[in-house]
Amino acid sequence: MNSSRNTRSRLAAAVLALLAVVLLFSFRLVDIQVVRAAELNEQSLGKRSVAVPTYGVRGNITDTNGVLLASSVDRYDITASPKVMYALADPSNTKPIDYVAQIEDLAAATGETVEAITASLSANPDSDFAYVHKLGTLEVLEAVKALKIPWVYSEVHPSRTYPNGAVAGNLIGFIGTDGPQMGMELDYDSCLASTNGSSTYEKSKDGVRLPGSTVTAKEPVDGGTLKLTIETDLQWYAQEQVAAQAIAVGAEWGTGMVVRVSDGHIMAAVDYPSVDPNDVNGVPNTALGSLAFSTPYEPGSVFKPITAAMAIDQGLATATTQVIAPGRIYFPNGQYIKDVWAHNDIHLTLAGVLMNSSNTGISKFTDMMSQQTRYDYFKAFGIGTKTGVGLYESAGSLPKTSDWDQITNLTIGFGQGVSATSAQLASVYQTLANNGVKKPLTLVEGCTMPDGTVTDLPDTTSTQVVSEYAADQTVAAMETIVTKGPLSRQLTIPGYRIAAKTATAEVAENGVYGDERIVAIAGMIPAENPQYVVIVTLGKPDIMKTSAAAAVPFKNIMTQVIKTFRIEPSATPAPDMPVTW
Amino acid sequence: MSAAYAYARPQERRNVQPRHIEIVTTRAQRRARPKAFYAVLAVSAVFALFLAQLMLSIVVSDGAYQISSLQAQQNQLSRTEQGLAEQLDLLASPQSLAQRAESLGMVVGTSSPAFLRLSDGALVGTPVASTGTAGALGADGGLVANSLLVPGSEAEISPTTSETGGAPAQNAAAGSVASSDGALPSPTTR
Repeated sequence: MNSSRNTRSRLAAAVLALLAVVLLFSFRLVDIQVVRAAELNEQSLGKRSVAVPTYGVRGNITDTNGVLLASSVDRYDITASPKVMYALADPSNTKPIDYVAQIEDLAAATGETVEAITASLSANPDSDFAYVHKLGTLEVLEAVKALKIPWVYSEVHPSRTYPNGAVAGNLIGFIGTDGPQMGMELDYDSCLASTNGSSTYEKSKDGVRLPGSTVTAKEPVDGGTLKLTIETDLQWYAQEQVAAQAIAVGAEWGTGMVVRVSDGHIMAAVDYPSVDPNDVNGVPNTALGSLAFSTPYEPGSVFKPITAAMAIDQGLATATTQVIAPGRIYFPNGQYIKDVWAHNDIHLTLAGVLMNSSNTGISKFTDMMSQQTRYDYFKAFGIGTKTGVGLYESAGSLPKTSDWDQITNLTIGFGQGVSATSAQLASVYQTLANNGVKKPLTLVEGCTMPDGTVTDLPDTTSTQVVSEYAADQTVAAMETIVTKGPLSRQLTIPGYRIAAKTATAEVAENGVYGDERIVAIAGMIPAENPQYVVIVTLGKPDIMKTSAAAAVPFKNIMTQVIKTFRIEPSATPAPDMPVTW
Repeated sequence: MSAAYAYARPQERRNVQPRHIEIVTTRAQRRARPKAFYAVLAVSAVFALFLAQLMLSIVVSDGAYQISSLQAQQNQLSRTEQGLAEQLDLLASPQSLAQRAESLGMVVGTSSPAFLRLSDGALVGTPVASTGTAGALGADGGLVANSLLVPGSEAEISPTTSETGGAPAQNAAAGSVASSDGALPSPTTR
């Protein structure tokens, strides 16, 4: 009896103890696995896992042939831990490092000065982070790595490079510290921009990635490739030519454009001064963008073919219509308009009016049309409206007919009292060259995303501004400027028929026309069936204040256009069109 | 009681001829008996499994090291490739090409463009010799800047020029002669 009771109570105690232990363990289990699970997981992961930002690559910008104009590259920031450096240099160490010598090595490898590095390191000796050199190239990184300095590290720093320097620099824009600034980099950021991703992996004690432990939280997304219509070599040559002549004649600024007639694609759009996007420091703000798009000016005589084309389109004239151009046209208030050279009444055809660039002559044609008719034609040619290319472009200004006084009424016909950008003028000449069909000026061929989809395709709407007959007659009339005009010798390219119009526009400053001039030549090749339009403008030259100043770059760019696009010589010589009667 | 009975048995045994009796196992019983072979097999299979598992994890982690080192190598190579591509793009820039071409004595033809049509060998246009001063670059070596072309860098090393400072060498003409007027100038091949 006694012994069996003993056994039972022992058994009960054991069971109870067992239960208690099981209870304790289950409690602990629930606590670890459920209650504090997240916190503990985080702690353990924090010890093993490494978060790595994965960089999406910003898209490239290429020219029409795929030549890289802007590309993303890896650069390396060389960083250091001053804390570790000073700890290692502690004299109580068995082998203290000589950091002065190491800094000298670093300076030699990175191209920084010893003072700059020392200043950066000693700014906060307790810090674990200081910059030694920013945006180093691969060579710098390798030189630094070869030094094997234990307290120096490196970080990848995605960066941007422009291998062709200032070629199309005014169009491309650049990337500042706050992202894209100016140009295509800014206008098409939605195409080019990339999104960075993130992923984590777990590492072993010696830093090796544990197999199968990579967790990608977010995939990086690369940017698209932006293809421009620009022809890099032609762009470079045109830029050289405009810059050389601008310097030679002391011009304040210069622009040049080459446009393909059939579709309005811009083969070259140059500005002087030009900017090298690799190094924009010290460049004045006004030179960062593209003057060809952003800066309207009173274009002067390059407007005359517009007036001629509208008169022909209205059925009021042909290229050989005869008018008498007086020396001066007086207004009731005593004001008058005149030509650059003094003359009595002269008998000119419409072609002759263009060839001699007679203001009084073109005014005879202006008088044939109502103000509204002329306004509508100007509007249809794109004057006073943005071309749609972008680049902070200006719409210029086309005053309403109600604002035209009796002088403006006539001067608008030859490009004074109205303003336009070089891009707008290039578009006007594209229209005349393309049988009166206006194609939207285009700088971007498209944006190809990494998945192959293409966006930002150019607008290909055609607008018939004037009839084919009117456009062709105007171009034929303009050809006399090259065959018979005062600049004939400077503009002729043997074997080729060229149509062009010169301009020496007066510049209004504080409401008064002064000595300053803006000179331009706009034209097309070959005249019998135009394929390319070239326009060169020089702003405020000091030495040569006539359109002859623009003749050298105009002809050289034309020659280069012939060579680049392999335009064959004209089969027939220019017809002999009467300019006087 | 039992003690008395036990006493009597030996007596009996002594008298009776003892019979040697043995249990004979049937074939079925023999077959059913556990065999050492299987035990060994099972145990070694378990060990083989453990070993395989061990080897596998050794191989996997060895693979991880290999992947890690290959990735580092890939990184290094793509960096190098990028660096070289960058240099190539820079060398191919118009500024660099123009500079090199002019240092070889080449000039831009601005007088009259002419073409040689390859399909029929016809000469299109009127070729006129370029003047010696028709270089595209000014005396200052070009007006279109490229700050990446740092003097002294690899991209800037000028090509081997003749001692006359880039003027076309006199004997160069011997290599390519026009056999008749208007015909293709062709190199003398052997």
